Amino acid sequence: MIELQGVTFVHQNGVKALDGVSLKIDAGETVAIVGENGAGKTTLVKHVTGLLKPATGIVLVDGVSTTSVSTAQISRKIGVAFQNPDHQLFSESVEEEMAFALRNFGFPPDLVEERVRWGLELFGLEEYRKSSPLVLSGGEKKRLTLACILAWDPQVVILDEPTVGQDSIQKEKLAQTIRMLSSTGKTIVVVSHDIEFLWPIQPRVVVMKAGKIVGDGPAPRVMQDLSLLDSARVVQPQLVALHRGLSRKPLEPFVDPLDARRWLEADLK
Amino acid sequence: MMWLSGGFIFRRGTSAYHRLDPRVKLLISVLMFVTTLLVRSLYELALVLAFMVLVSAVATVLRRVARTMTLTALFSTFIFVINFLVTRDLGTSVLYALRFVAIVVSTSLFFITTSPDELEQVMKTFRLPRDVVFAFVTAVRFIPVMLLDTMQIMDAQKSRGLELDKGNVLRRVRNMIPILIPLVVNSVVRSGELAEAMESRAYGAVPKPTSLVEYRSTLTDRVVALTAVVTFAFVAYSFYYILPLQFP
Repeated sequence: MIELQGVTFVHQNGVKALDGVSLKIDAGETVAIVGENGAGKTTLVKHVTGLLKPATGIVLVDGVSTTSVSTAQISRKIGVAFQNPDHQLFSESVEEEMAFALRNFGFPPDLVEERVRWGLELFGLEEYRKSSPLVLSGGEKKRLTLACILAWDPQVVILDEPTVGQDSIQKEKLAQTIRMLSSTGKTIVVVSHDIEFLWPIQPRVVVMKAGKIVGDGPAPRVMQDLSLLDSARVVQPQLVALHRGLSRKPLEPFVDPLDARRWLEADLK
Repeated sequence: MMWLSGGFIFRRGTSAYHRLDPRVKLLISVLMFVTTLLVRSLYELALVLAFMVLVSAVATVLRRVARTMTLTALFSTFIFVINFLVTRDLGTSVLYALRFVAIVVSTSLFFITTSPDELEQVMKTFRLPRDVVFAFVTAVRFIPVMLLDTMQIMDAQKSRGLELDKGNVLRRVRNMIPILIPLVVNSVVRSGELAEAMESRAYGAVPKPTSLVEYRSTLTDRVVALTAVVTFAFVAYSFYYILPLQFP
């Protein structure tokens, strides 16, 4: 679905944001990209969407190089929810905001109406349908941006720091949405510092450091590699740290806090 | 966009020109500006532009000044066309178009070599009201931030299928609405947040706050300022009494 081959990118200020990055993401995969600030996570995402073009190397989306098509064409397949929702909200009402991309992609009016209604219901935003998106709270704006993307049903959904400004209930809802989308066969890419949010989703984890991919694998393997996490300045999830600290423990780290509680209670007995 | 904006935005430098007292840099820019207005022929303008290039080379900002010139090319072309249509005089039209470039470069040279902090000190020297100084310097300081905002907004909208480069002029103008509205809204929100942050840090608590940095002119600054004034006087004199005889 998405393939980067030896991608290098240097910013105008001379900083090498990506350094020979090669990555392949298959259709239906859920991938988390983690790493400290400036590791190159967002730059990588911008290459996938065609917003940035590689200095060297190639980025393929569905076998097509991003240099040969416009970002708008790529967007039909790849929806990105950027970190700051205030960078995209501009319409008079929430429903107009949702319809914006659908109209850009040439959806017929009845389908626009249907997709808008579906998105608003999915994210609990029906009551704000006629409100200005600018008066929504931070969390609501974030949900709206996600609803805007899912409305056109892209094959790949990229979420850039989706948990910023979200309370714990919204985070849980977001995690459920990701699982739901994943179960429908969507490819999900989550760029996040929020390891505690990512851990229960159990994605494939790609660790970045100084523009390079330094780790790639299933969450249980990557999150137990302390030297890798330390070198990339990524904190180990609490449940993994708890598992590491136990003298008698199950083979795999706990995914759910309730699992950990049950184990500990049974162990104490 | 960021490439072009480099022609107006300050970046730290280590050249002798960067190290000059900001008031001297302002004086040089003002003198260049006035000289540009005194110009009456292409020969004179060529001299002024050559001098600006020389100053840019000393300040090691030649490439960035070239960006300034690129940015002004569109407007100066417009000036040229309008003048040519009205006067039908090629020389005068070129003179006015290039004069505009020279005016912008003289201003740009000051801004790309003077930090907002130095700018603040310069404005305080003229005893301008503190609020006016703060508002102006903040506006200058926020130009790069707004540019970054603009780029991020453009990225976000392009990712939603907006094609900025397609369609006729009217369509392209309409396509700017999804860029401009978030930009204006963000700027208004940011200015409100900034005002609250400044008030919470005692802005306006005393009528005359102290300053961390007090600029004092060095001997070099005074020599450069004097040289600039003398050169200006000579150039202005030559424009009216020497060059017209050589190049009538």
